[in-house]
Parts: sequence; structure tokens; C-alpha cells
Amino acid sequence: MTQLVCPFCGPRELHEFEFRKTAASAGGTPVERVYLRVDHPDLSIEHWHHVRGCRAWLVIERNPSTDAICRVRLLGGDAE
Amino acid sequence: MNSTTSRRGLRLGEGTFSFNFDGRRYQAREGDTAASALLANGVRLMGRSIKARRRRGVLTAGPEEPNALLTVGDSFNCIPNVAAPQLVLRAGLLLRSQNRWPSLKFDVASVLQAGGGILGAGFYYKTFMWPSWHTYEPLIRRLAGLGSAPAACTLPQASIENFSCDVLIGGGGVAGLTAARAATRAGARVVVCEREPCLGGEIEFEDARIEGTGALAWLRELAVELNSRGARLLFETTVVGGRGGEVIAHAEPGGLAGANTLYRIRPRVFVVAMGATERPLTFVDNDLPGVMLLSAAERYGVRYGVRIAKRTVIFANHNRAYAAATRLAAAGMQICAIVDTRPESAITEARVAALREQLVRSGIECLYEQTVIAARGRAGVTAAEVGSITGTGHVRVIECDTILMSGGWTPVTHAGQQEGGTRRYVPDIAAFVADRQPDARMTVGAANGVFELSAICHEAQAIGERAARLAGQACSPVPPPKAQGDPAPELRPFWRSPAPRAAEKRQFVDFQNDVTVADLRSAVEEGFYEIEHAKRYTALGFGTDQGRLSGVLGAAIIAELRGEPLDRVGTSRLRQPFHPVTLKSLAGLRTGAALRVTRRTPLHKWHLAQGGVMGPTGLWMRPMHYGKAGADVARISALEATAVRTTGGISDASTLGKIEIAGPDAAAFLDYLYMTPASSLKVGRSRYAVNLREDGMVLDDGLLLRMGSDRFRATTSTGHAEEMLAHFEYYRALEFGTAQVVISDVTDAWAVIVVAGPKSREALLPILEDPSRPPVAALQHMDFTMARFAGAELLVLRASFSGELACELHCPPDSAASLADALVGAGMKPYGLEALDILRVEKGYLTHAELSGQTTPYDLGMEGFLKRKDRFVGSDLLDRPAFHEESRPRLVGVRAANGHAAFLAGAQLVGREDRNHPCGYITSSALSPALGEYIGLALVARSIGEGAEIIARDPLRLGDTTVRIAPIVHFDPSGERMRR
Repeated sequence: MTQLVCPFCGPRELHEFEFRKTAASAGGTPVERVYLRVDHPDLSIEHWHHVRGCRAWLVIERNPSTDAICRVRLLGGDAE
Repeated sequence: MNSTTSRRGLRLGEGTFSFNFDGRRYQAREGDTAASALLANGVRLMGRSIKARRRRGVLTAGPEEPNALLTVGDSFNCIPNVAAPQLVLRAGLLLRSQNRWPSLKFDVASVLQAGGGILGAGFYYKTFMWPSWHTYEPLIRRLAGLGSAPAACTLPQASIENFSCDVLIGGGGVAGLTAARAATRAGARVVVCEREPCLGGEIEFEDARIEGTGALAWLRELAVELNSRGARLLFETTVVGGRGGEVIAHAEPGGLAGANTLYRIRPRVFVVAMGATERPLTFVDNDLPGVMLLSAAERYGVRYGVRIAKRTVIFANHNRAYAAATRLAAAGMQICAIVDTRPESAITEARVAALREQLVRSGIECLYEQTVIAARGRAGVTAAEVGSITGTGHVRVIECDTILMSGGWTPVTHAGQQEGGTRRYVPDIAAFVADRQPDARMTVGAANGVFELSAICHEAQAIGERAARLAGQACSPVPPPKAQGDPAPELRPFWRSPAPRAAEKRQFVDFQNDVTVADLRSAVEEGFYEIEHAKRYTALGFGTDQGRLSGVLGAAIIAELRGEPLDRVGTSRLRQPFHPVTLKSLAGLRTGAALRVTRRTPLHKWHLAQGGVMGPTGLWMRPMHYGKAGADVARISALEATAVRTTGGISDASTLGKIEIAGPDAAAFLDYLYMTPASSLKVGRSRYAVNLREDGMVLDDGLLLRMGSDRFRATTSTGHAEEMLAHFEYYRALEFGTAQVVISDVTDAWAVIVVAGPKSREALLPILEDPSRPPVAALQHMDFTMARFAGAELLVLRASFSGELACELHCPPDSAASLADALVGAGMKPYGLEALDILRVEKGYLTHAELSGQTTPYDLGMEGFLKRKDRFVGSDLLDRPAFHEESRPRLVGVRAANGHAAFLAGAQLVGREDRNHPCGYITSSALSPALGEYIGLALVARSIGEGAEIIARDPLRLGDTTVRIAPIVHFDPSGERMRR
């Protein structure tokens, strides 16, 4: 992908964003939350930062096998 | 034969001019390419091959040219490896052939040719080994490669253009244009990329009629229609790659790297219509000047009016040979024979049979199931040896000066191999075409393996409409244009003529890389039979060719040698860019100073006026010291540091990050972000504050100021300013989503001047406005207050990084220079980063050298701050056993065991008994003017106690020094100097 759709700004070039980390699964011990991740070939939930834009933090659900974006929403928004 | 003035061609203008090739002047017509002009002037020898330095002429009439690569310009300022068929000539151009010495005609290194087999595939693994490869390496390197790089590169800047459109069509031939017209008529925004300077592709050469008119007239009308409907036509622009929905195209006007443009295109639909490349056939000495592709002869004839031969033999495995022969004969070329590798029964098209009858009647022999076995000649073709495809029987010699060969066509599918696109083999045309593709990418025309004009028009119309629909335009299907061009090829695969083993090393498969059948056989026999291995072992498909011309040919020969079908062998993976792109084009305007932003503090000019020598810290320019450039930095910094400790100095701390956090929940938020609590901080006070990462390692340190009950200002280190802001914003979103907290980055809003030294207070007070003086005079250590200077508001914070009595002054950027001037006027001397580092090492203060991201608060002796029970970022993992092991390092001071010895940061520390296992390293060091010796800070294993003597090992710089562990604070341990 070379573009991401920011909830505030609309479709923007990828270089405006920075990947921070893959989100940890809910629950788990502190060590697991910091260090351990389970890899799914179909789904990666990631925290990205719109650094060179509105600076919103986003949760991006992405398919790592096809590099297709399934869903983009704000971090700390509704469902968190 | 080919007079400059009387030639007629589609691309030629009226004017004539002269150009230079290898020191001789030649005449050319406006519109001529280097290849067409040289051929018209009777020049056939245009280069020498890369390995064996064999004589070479131009093989093709397109960018896939492997042989005729020229250097344009003189040896100082030139562009190498320019394809002669693509270079549009201008008056006065200086052209030179490549890869020969001393001249094209007499090349000394071609004596290697006589050596025959020593330069076979993988020769550098098998030969030139005694006594070692390096003995021969310089010679081989000098002989290797194609052109030579220029001494200077003065290419003009390239531009990069980004745009999006509905339908991008790569290729402006009949397929691409029919699709473009269909899409444009449906209302889509269409862009067409065509690599030639004009539209048409192959249609110029076929006897084609489309929609009732001749091909050329049809093209003209269509171009007018496309323009009037707003389609954008990009000429001399080649699609070179792209990914993720982006297509990258490169425009090189005139076929010469110059004012290039790189296009980054976001189409909703990408239609690949880039045609097919004619491929050669393999026979002995098929690389002689005079052996060319069949289509090349037609192109040079039709476009440039050049008749490239007097007597020619045509050698092919398909029907088009007869159509081409008819046209070439009509243009005045004498055709001696048509050598067809197929049986006569392979021709079923009535039109072809008719053409053939006519040719025979006009005296041209048509031979079946025959092949050209070898080309004869030394400097160029003088005859063709023709015999049966079985390799037995009688061999005839036909005198000629040119052999025009055509082994079929390889569809240009490179774009189809990206992003999960697959290919499949089509036996009818003995080639690979794009198979499954993402929805938004379609292939049409010869690129899709369809070579017959009416089928192309039919398919292209449908594709154009489908593309428009996919791009969101409604359109109903329209009947495709009726067209008739050359008959269907009815191709039968044929790859190489039979030859005895000894002759296989003169049967060329890849001309640019001198790969012969012998090399391919060698690869297969030696175990490199997988196509990717064979490619790398033999160099098949390297260079600017990248398999475009000979990739399938080479794969097919390998398949024959392996006894397997071609689709099992496959071809090697095609990689971007699919056509050479200059690095300057990829860089665009992002070169030199425009590559990285330079950040300057508000005092930048002031530093320069004071004699500051600036150096980069990340993107910032900061003053290292205030001596002259090239002066003895150590001496000057020592003087600056001494001045601070005796009277006072000022330095620029504007680059440190400043973040304001405000709101009713600000204190709770900062309690969570910092290891040191914020809510207990009183208004008007500041505190040393430390941030941890979530894994418990120390991330950064700084000061936290409480401006009000709901307002804080945090400072960070320069290097971590961006990261800390992101860190704050992250946790604000993650865990404080519903809290009332506002974060603002105010780094650029305030200039910060530090005034430090015993006389700093005396210097500061008089320059402040009268009412500000008492509060500032009464400031206690770590307190701050607001003040006024020359009408501007100032925050005065009493804090010290030098260990002297000091204040940080946060002022508006516009006031910084006058504030600095006033302080200098009061006797404070500017000091730079070098002096600052000396001062802080003397006091044991920490920078990124100690806060490396691999140290815990315990390592750094920060246990005193860890009295909290509540959770904060990093607290979860702070108590893990690994953080408390004996092997964890501890921050200590170091001194030389012998007072005058030197040591430097970076030196590894080892015990006296075991000198090969480090137990730590020196993180910071300085030659302290206050103490008169080297001092440092280090991280060493906990087991090593204070006073212990260990060795600092620095083999690249100072060698071994004995040091002893000392207290962290080297100077003024009680800190009374800054608390005065």
C-alpha cells in the first residue's frame, strides 16, 4: 500500500505515517504485553502515528499477506 | 544509397547538421537517431562486446539494443551506455563507441577472442586463480564493463511529478490507443505513456487499414480526438515499475539523460499495452555486424528512410517474414532468400501463400525447413551458410551483406509480474503472457500475446470499456473498430540452428553479456540448471537488456539442453526498474541542501557573529565552540569551560524539547508518563524528571516545571524531542482517551539561553526590567519565576547542567539575540557544546551516552527516585529479576590510575587478569581543566567496587590505560557551587 486513509485527513501518502508497534492481545502478563505477539497471516493490528499530518494515533487492521488495509480507526476511540 | 538530403522517413525533418562519432564528422537529418544516421553513413561497426570484444553493429531499432551503446560527450563530462537507436541527434553531439582500445577497428583486447574458451561462463571461478585472483583483478576490472563513468556528473536536475487519473495506459500503439479512445469516450480521465516520440507502435510498418482508412491517417485522427477529449499523452516516457497501486514512469527526452521527469502515477486502472519485443535466433557468428532483427530493417526504412542492406537473407519461423519481405523489396532492398524453419505446410493463411507466390515470381527463393547455420565474414556479414534444420545434408552459401532474423516476439509482461500477478506459457506463440492479475490491471494487444490486428482492436475496445467502468464511468459496449493488418504469424518455435560442440561458443544468445550456447550448456552440466542459477552463472539477462531481448531464447535453449518443456523451466524474475533510470531522476529535487531540513536556533546568526563554529546534532546546527575553524578545539573548549567556572558564560539550549501539558488531568497524566511523580511538584518549582520505556529501560530525562495547578512544561533532551512528543501523544490516546489533557509542542516557541557561573546572577539582574529583579534575585535552586526583559516576557528557571550557579532563560525567539548581547555585554562569555560536555562530565550529569536505551534506572543509580507504589509507564517490568542481577552494569566515575594518562569514551573496560572479556565501557570522557586530568563516566559490572583498578582498552586509538573506579561527581561533590 502506498496510501493510508486517516479518519481526520482522508487518503494520505504512506510516508506521512510512522508505524509504532503491533498491538498486544488483551489480557496477558506485563511481559507478554510488552514482548510477546502472536502472528496471524491474515490479521495484524497495529498502532500508527500520523506524524506528518494531524498527529492522530491510529489503530490499523492490516492483512500482512496481501498488505491490504482492512480497517482504520482512532486509537483510544470507541471500542478500545 | 542513403543520401542525407534525399532520404524520406516518418520521423525526419528538413534540416541537416553534422555530428561526431569516434573523431569523424558525419551528416545527419533532423529527427535522425544515432543508429539511423550512422547506418545511413555506411557505418556498421558501432561497438565491441563486453567480454570477448567482438565486433558489433546495431542489432535492433529500439531501447532493447544490446550492442550499439555509445558514450555521449567528452571524457570529462559524458553520459555512457546510451542506446544508439534511441538517441535523437542534435547538432554538434560528440559520440564515442565503448569497450575498445585503442580504436573500434583495432582493439588490442580482442586478442582474447582468439583465446576462445577461457572466458566462458564462470571463468573467474575457474581461471586466473594462481597465485591469487587479486593478481589479475586490476586488469580484469579495467577490461570489464561497458562504458566508463565520467569524471564529473553535471546532469541537470530531474523533476518528479505526481498525479492520479482514472485509466493509465502504458503504450501508445494500436492496442493502447484503441483502449484509450474507448475509455475517453466513456468519460474517463485517461493518460497514455508512450516511449517513442510519437504514437503508433508497430502500425507504421504493417500494411494496415483500420476503420476504412490507412493506419497512419487513422492514427492522426485518433490523436486529435484524444487531445480534444482531454486525454493526456506523455511521449518518450516509459513505464519502469511501481507497487501498491502506484505506477512509475520515466521520461527521457531525446533518449539522453538530461531534463528527465519521473512520474509517480496513481491510476484507478492500469492497462498494459506495451507490445512485444522481437527476438533473435541463434546460429554461429550471429553477432556479426550486419545481423539484425527483421523489424529493425523495417523501422530504419520507414522512419528514417535508411536502406540498411544491399543484399539480404531473411531468416524467420513465422508468416510475417513474407509480409516484411514484400515491403522491403518494394523499398528497393534486394532479398536473396527467405529461410523459413517451418515446413511449407505450416502456412495456411491464404494471404501469406499469395504473398509468397509473388515473391517467388519476382525471383526470391523461399526455403523451408532450412536454417541459417552460420554467418560468414570478419568485419561484417559477407555470406550466410544455409542448411537443413536437422543439421544434415547439403549446406549452401548465399552471398549477402545482411541477415535479418526473427524468432518470434516476447510480450512485454514485466508490469504483469508485480504484486501477485502470474504468467502462463502460450505454446502458439512460444512465449509467456500475463495470467492472473489484480482487478485494476489489464493487459492487451501484443503484450498479451495477440499479434493479429483485428483481434487486437477487438480486445482493446473491450478492455478500454472495462477499464472505464472499473474507474467508475458508465458506458455501454460499442462495436470494435474493423481492422486488417499483417496476417497471423502461425509461428513454430525454433531457437537455435544445429552446430558442432566446438562452434557453440560462437552461437550468441545474449549479445550484451556475451552469453553463448556453450555457456548455457556449461551451466546446465555444472549443476546450474535452474533458470535463476543459470542466469547468475552465465550473466544471461544482466545489464540494460534484463532479458528483454534474449530471456525467453535463453530459457528455451536451457530447456532443450535439459530435455524439458519451456514452461517448466520458466524465465528469471523480472525486476524493477524495467528500463534504466538515472539516480538523479529518482532523487528529483531532493538533492544537496534540499535532502534534509536544517534546523537553526533563533541565535544562529548570533553564534556566527560571535565566531561560533557550527556542527550538526541531528538536523540542528549548534555551536561546537567559538574559536576559529581548524583551531585547537581541546584548548579552546577548556578555556571556555574555565571561564564558566571562574566568571560565567552563556550557551544556547534552544534545541532541547519543550512540551506543555495542561488540563485538570495534566498532573495525573504526567504521573503516569514519568518515573518521577509530577502531582507532588509545587507551582513555581521544577524537578529533575525521568521517563522510562514500557520495558523499564530509561528513555529520557529532563526537567518538569509546574506553571500552574493545571499546567506543566516538560523539557526533553535534544535528540529525543520528537520521540518524547510522540510518546506523550501515544499514551494520551491509549490510556487517557477520556481525560482532560492537552499536549502542545512549544520547542520552537521559546529560545533558551543558559547563563552560568559565579558571576551569572550579577550579570543577569541589571539587564532585567526593574520589577523583575527582586523575584529573580530571590530564586532558590530549581525554582522559576516570570520576568521581563526589554518589554518581552521571560521565564527564569534556576537550574544547572554545568554545576555552577545558573539560570535558564526561556524568552521569545525575537528577543534572544538582544538578550544574549546584553549578557555578553555584562561579561558572560559564550561557550559551545564541547565546553558544555566538559562541565557536565565533571559533575557526573547524564546525556544520551549514558541514557543509551539499554540502561535501567538501577544501573544509573536512580533508586532514590523510585519510592512510588502506583503504576506508570515502565513500572510493570521494573522488578524483573534480570534487572537486579550481578552482571548488570552500574554507573561509575573513572580516573586514570596514573594522573596524566588519557582515556576516551568508547574504550572497553576489562579486568587486569582477563583482558579479553569486557566488564563495561567508558561512556563519556573529558580532559578536565578544573582537575587537570582525564575524567570519565563508565558503566561497569556491579562486582567491581570503588577504587578498583581496571584496564581501559582502546586498540584503535590510545591503546591500554589503567584506570580506577571513582565517584561519579568529579568536581564539587556537595553541589554547593550551584546552590549559592
